[in-house]
Amino acid sequence: MFAYITRRVLATVPLLVVALYLVHVMVSATTDPLADFRLCLPRCQDGFDQIVENYNLDVNLWLRPFTWFESALGGDLGRSESLGLPVTTILWDRGINTAMIAVPAFLVGSIVALLLSIYSARRPYTKGDYALTGLSFIGFAFPSFVMALVLQNLLAVQFENWFGVKPFNTGRKTGENFLELARDVFLPALTLIIVGVAADSRFGRASMIETLNQDYIRTARAKGVPEKTVVWKHALRNALIPLVTLWALNFSALLSGAVVTESIYSWPGLGPAFLTSIGEADVDLVLGIVIFSAVLTVAFNLVADVLYGILDPRIRFD
Amino acid sequence: MTAPLLKVDHLTVGFPSKAGVVGAVTDVSFEIHPGEVLAVVGESGSGKSVTALAVMRLHSKSTHISGSVMFNDTDLLALPEDQMRAIRGRDIAMIFQDPMTALNPVFTVGMQIVEAILLHHHDMTKQKAWERAVELLDMVGVPEPRRRAAQYPHEFSGGMRQRAMIAMAISNDPKLLIADEPTTALDVTVQAQVMEVLHEVKRATGSAIMLITHDLGLVAGSADRVQVMYASRLFETGSIDEIFYESRNPYTRALLDSIPDLEGTKDELHPIPGNPPSLLRPPAGCPFRPRCSMAIELCREQTPALIQIANSHASRCHRADELAVLAAGAPA
Repeated sequence: MFAYITRRVLATVPLLVVALYLVHVMVSATTDPLADFRLCLPRCQDGFDQIVENYNLDVNLWLRPFTWFESALGGDLGRSESLGLPVTTILWDRGINTAMIAVPAFLVGSIVALLLSIYSARRPYTKGDYALTGLSFIGFAFPSFVMALVLQNLLAVQFENWFGVKPFNTGRKTGENFLELARDVFLPALTLIIVGVAADSRFGRASMIETLNQDYIRTARAKGVPEKTVVWKHALRNALIPLVTLWALNFSALLSGAVVTESIYSWPGLGPAFLTSIGEADVDLVLGIVIFSAVLTVAFNLVADVLYGILDPRIRFD
Repeated sequence: MTAPLLKVDHLTVGFPSKAGVVGAVTDVSFEIHPGEVLAVVGESGSGKSVTALAVMRLHSKSTHISGSVMFNDTDLLALPEDQMRAIRGRDIAMIFQDPMTALNPVFTVGMQIVEAILLHHHDMTKQKAWERAVELLDMVGVPEPRRRAAQYPHEFSGGMRQRAMIAMAISNDPKLLIADEPTTALDVTVQAQVMEVLHEVKRATGSAIMLITHDLGLVAGSADRVQVMYASRLFETGSIDEIFYESRNPYTRALLDSIPDLEGTKDELHPIPGNPPSLLRPPAGCPFRPRCSMAIELCREQTPALIQIANSHASRCHRADELAVLAAGAPA
């Protein structure tokens, strides 16, 4: 298994290099950090030269990623012009802020989705199942920006003492006590949970229904296995196998920052930073966030594959 | 004759669908005596498996079931679920058609047998149950049973999986073993081995067997009595000799006639023309009439009743009496 993981990690290196090269070229080609300066030349020649140097604009577009790679290998991901901080600092601070809502949203969302899936799958095409199906379609149909605004208006405005509406804050979320933090986390996390559960419970329901219709479930019942054990032991482990990949991708996506939700709640996570970096043509920050999210996606895919092998004895790592 | 182990009376099973209720089993009555092998024969969809699943009460809740299923004087259909569960796997055990899908892929074969044992022996230790599982695997002819018990189903071949299924089914010495097409999914060479194991098991445990199959060849060598089903109904029932040599039913005869002859004395195959009727809207009269070479006007108007011919022999045909004359040289 160790050899397998090593092989997988090594195999992702060329993938990341190609992805980053393309992103670098595309962002560089579609933005012009010099736009403002061109208008005031030659009065602001110094600033112009500074930008050229910062972004290596004197290097050919197709070769420019290599200078970035060179410094990235040394641990220096460059400096964000728009936020005035080193990219690594931003990734660290914002990453932790994002994780504060992503981790609870993922844990609670996945568990709730799983419980609802099992509830539905045990009584498919009954009133309870139809009710949940209807609710999940509503959750599905609401884009997250609508959901976030609705929740914000319903809860934060109506119950200002509970959730409050806070001024924008770009620093790291520290120095607050746990209760205060939990209060701030609640609404953005709830938004992510509702949107996530709506989708996940559909997949979970389908997987569980399919599993409960398998022959080996009938065998278990024919042995005299109580229905609870049939569901929680015989069916669940099999039904989880396809869900593991879904969860891994969900979690890596959440940790990469929820652009819309975090922006609406003014949550200083990676999402709003990503939005700013694109708007300001902040190449280094765009690349920093892309590499962060690419590494997360690859890493959690690997985690999913390892979990696969643990859940399903038919899969072997060689 | 001893009291029957299983006495099924007027069993009717229907599956509700959007278009109406599909009558999968219609008014079926039969008995199985202790230690007896009853073969239930018929085409796909004739109601064989549905009958077995109804005896085990393994249908979904929406299924309409009426009649009675008396097992040792207990009506299984009236039993509360927890008491029925205690009977499943202990008194009545079942072997399914496809061993490739009937075992849970994420648990070892040994664990699945151990589970079956522990469910009905609450005071047994896990180690003892494991020893018993190894013994059972050995008994059904799984080589190196100790090593094999720790393996997963995907590491077993089809024949070995079916042996493991049998080991699991007999782990609590059931009084009745229902084998639903136990050899259909297997290679011909393996089929004989699995049947041999079933006979071995019967000799060792003395349990009765309800053998569901569409393979009449299998029936001839292993059953005491045969029951032929067609379009949800019992069409003929009798001893092996009565069914194979003195059949009083055109459907049974057509079925016997359609068996390919490996010795090559038959010049051509004689399949039964047409298809079984829809169970959603069965035709009036005898359900076999459209395919029957002996059909008369009466068959169109009236569904024939099951006519008693001899002590153990009954046939559902308006012309059952006339068929006696033709019986001498059968099968044709």
